[in-house]
Amino acid sequence: MAKPKIATTWLAGCAGCHMSFLDIDEAIVELANLVEFTASPVTDIKEFSPVDVGIVEGSLNTTKDVEVLKKLRANCKILMAWGDCACFGGIFTMRNLCDKGELLRRGFIETESTKKGSKVPASEEIPALLPQVKPINQLVKVDCYVPGCPPSAKAIHYAVVELLQGRIPVLPSDMMRFD
Amino acid sequence: MCSQGRKGFLKNEGGFKTMKEITLTINGRQVKGKEGDTVLEICQANGIDLPTLCHLEGLSDVGACRMCVVEIERERRPVPACTYPASNGLVVKTDTPELEKYRRLILELIFTERNHFCMFCEQSGDCELQKLGYQYQMDNVRYPYAFPSLPLDSSSDYLAIDHNRCILCGRCVRACSEVAGIHALDFGKRGWRTVVSADLELPLGESSCISDGACMQACPTGAIFSKLSLYKGKTSECQQVITVCPLCGVGCELNVLVRDNNLVRIEAPSLKGSRAALCQKGRFGLLRDNRLRVTSPLVRNRRGKLGECTIDKAMETAAAKLIELKDGFAGIISSRYPKETLSLFNRFVRQATGSDWIDTLDGRNYRLIAGGIKQFSDRGKGLDIECSIDEIPEADCILVIGADPLKTHPLIVSLIRRAKSQKGAKLIVIDQASDVFSPWSDLWLKPEAGSEGILFSGLTKILIDKGLVKQEKVPAELVQSLSRYKRDDVVRATGIGIADLESAASTYGKAEHGVIIYGEGLLERNDPNLVTCLLRLADLTGNWAENHLRVISFKPNANSRGAWELGLAAKDIPSDKLKGVYLLLADEQEDEGRWGWLKGIDFLMVQASYHSAITSLADVVLPSPIWAAREGGEYISMDGRLNKSRQVLQPKEGLLQDREILIELSKKLGHKLSPS
Repeated sequence: MAKPKIATTWLAGCAGCHMSFLDIDEAIVELANLVEFTASPVTDIKEFSPVDVGIVEGSLNTTKDVEVLKKLRANCKILMAWGDCACFGGIFTMRNLCDKGELLRRGFIETESTKKGSKVPASEEIPALLPQVKPINQLVKVDCYVPGCPPSAKAIHYAVVELLQGRIPVLPSDMMRFD
Repeated sequence: MCSQGRKGFLKNEGGFKTMKEITLTINGRQVKGKEGDTVLEICQANGIDLPTLCHLEGLSDVGACRMCVVEIERERRPVPACTYPASNGLVVKTDTPELEKYRRLILELIFTERNHFCMFCEQSGDCELQKLGYQYQMDNVRYPYAFPSLPLDSSSDYLAIDHNRCILCGRCVRACSEVAGIHALDFGKRGWRTVVSADLELPLGESSCISDGACMQACPTGAIFSKLSLYKGKTSECQQVITVCPLCGVGCELNVLVRDNNLVRIEAPSLKGSRAALCQKGRFGLLRDNRLRVTSPLVRNRRGKLGECTIDKAMETAAAKLIELKDGFAGIISSRYPKETLSLFNRFVRQATGSDWIDTLDGRNYRLIAGGIKQFSDRGKGLDIECSIDEIPEADCILVIGADPLKTHPLIVSLIRRAKSQKGAKLIVIDQASDVFSPWSDLWLKPEAGSEGILFSGLTKILIDKGLVKQEKVPAELVQSLSRYKRDDVVRATGIGIADLESAASTYGKAEHGVIIYGEGLLERNDPNLVTCLLRLADLTGNWAENHLRVISFKPNANSRGAWELGLAAKDIPSDKLKGVYLLLADEQEDEGRWGWLKGIDFLMVQASYHSAITSLADVVLPSPIWAAREGGEYISMDGRLNKSRQVLQPKEGLLQDREILIELSKKLGHKLSPS
């Protein structure tokens, strides 16, 4: 039997969930024998091919995030959300408390470290900000969630192993984290 | 939404509860309770878990959050257990899949309503909402988030309110009104825009809030938090020590949270009962003292400057000086020390130095109060003739005389305000300087300086004339002696109008539960007769609570009464013959007015936690641990309650306890002082 394929990606996130995943230590060797990682920040493969499990870290912040998430969803059978950003919106939702224009002005023009005359960078290559940051289940169907900021290595390991054994993981209360 | 209307719907009304036992079926199990209990109370008493958010022991229940919904036979829909009165034969279900579904739904709705992202919340780890999220395995939310942008109010010196973290459970509103008695907080605006608001949407720091912090302790989330304790540690990382507040005579119990020998925060051990509140000084003031600490012993050198030295050298200098003095030596101690230190000091002065000049810093207050009590009744009851402060929240009329509770005994403000809002008590302030309870006082009598005696006699006469006294208690000689207090004369002498005099007399005279509170402002008149007058006033109107008259005198420190009852303040020290003084100041505030007379002393030794004007006068300064590092012991509150303090922190390295200093010092004087 072919190994199940896994693709991972990050949207508006800090890479913390992927770091936490790498924190499963020696279990990663065992996992590498059981599954095949295709597109992922860890393998540095950018293009999605059809996989069994798609894993998403981060929330929806830009038009690029929307595009990536839709592509991954189209390419995976089961979609798993990692971390508070993907599950609930997370720390990026702080920007929802203020106006988008105000946010960019403060960030690119008014910060104490910017040079006088700086502008908000604008280019077709830079994806546009969405009006609001959202959790991923407000755009696509999500099959399972591993909340935490970041989720503990233990929780990530638990969720992946549950999937490999054919169950949809629901974290037990003692593994739940919102911070 | 006004908490006042619904308050005490079931529990706090008193007398509603009967002792009649009832039997219910909960989840198929037969359980017992008392008539008047709520379904939630019976569940909790029987170990049946129900999630709650807006319920908090000590506060009335309002059914705001709906987490505790249960199914009850013959009720068409789920009802909140916290407000549902239990009755005999009720059949209740608490754990059906349907109910669990509702609870999870409620949680998700609460999470979407505002900013409940934990990673940047101070309260994460101590949050009841977060805990329920974990318990219900809420790993995603099915609804769109509202993301309202609400302000953070950090205008108060001690508290901050982040409305974005608020779940509108109303616990702060109820704590403010029912525990602290202040009712500064209530709900403002309507619908999903509802916010907790101070007064009429004033910034907290400009409102009638007195920063007692009950709201913060009641808050289940990170909506109300202490600016002084921010990010210093979660509850699970702290040790909790129950001790006594050293500050005023009320002697509140404190739950002190400590982490790595640092104070994190101070809470009331519970929000239940008449002493559940704390005050701003106890909850926050004790955490932040900006005075400069005495960290090393100091001795005045030949050039007249204070210089650091070893503790041994300092004590040797002191002992040599004490031996040289022979007489004219007095020991004065702060009544912030526990009984053990006070009694050791007593023995040190009397045995090791042979002097019987001993006093507490507040000894004069005792001599005036005790003198007044003695003149009233010579039956040896002493301070025990006064009543418990628990009488205050039950009162229907309160006279506050020459006292400013908010400044000196802030917890009493809470008790008085509770009597006002919960019992409709009338509040009469008698104060020459200001109406300390404005705008909550019903009447302010402003007697001319020194006319208090005439005022009290005048009031007594009006009471007798109006027949508002227990006639059997009115001896002919009293009527005779009061006959010279004609109304016009009283009006002229006190400057108080006749209408106010009569109104005060009849309000107090008609009250069934009148409490008199007096303080420093009255004692400043230096006249024990004034105390006697007040006791007589209470006696004549029958204001006895069993064996105690409903009169309360303010005592300055947590162990004032303990020190006085040990006999430490029995007599005045003849200051003209005084040559040397050993002053154990503890961490009391400097107050030059109180000890300016020490300036001319030949030899002054001060044991203090902080540098002050008084330590700069001293010839020898010995460091004393601050309140939290002080050894524990017994304290007697101003109304006679025995409290036990505990040592919370380790003192700074090399710092001796006051007990150790006294024992060492007496050794140097050639006297062996037993530690107990």
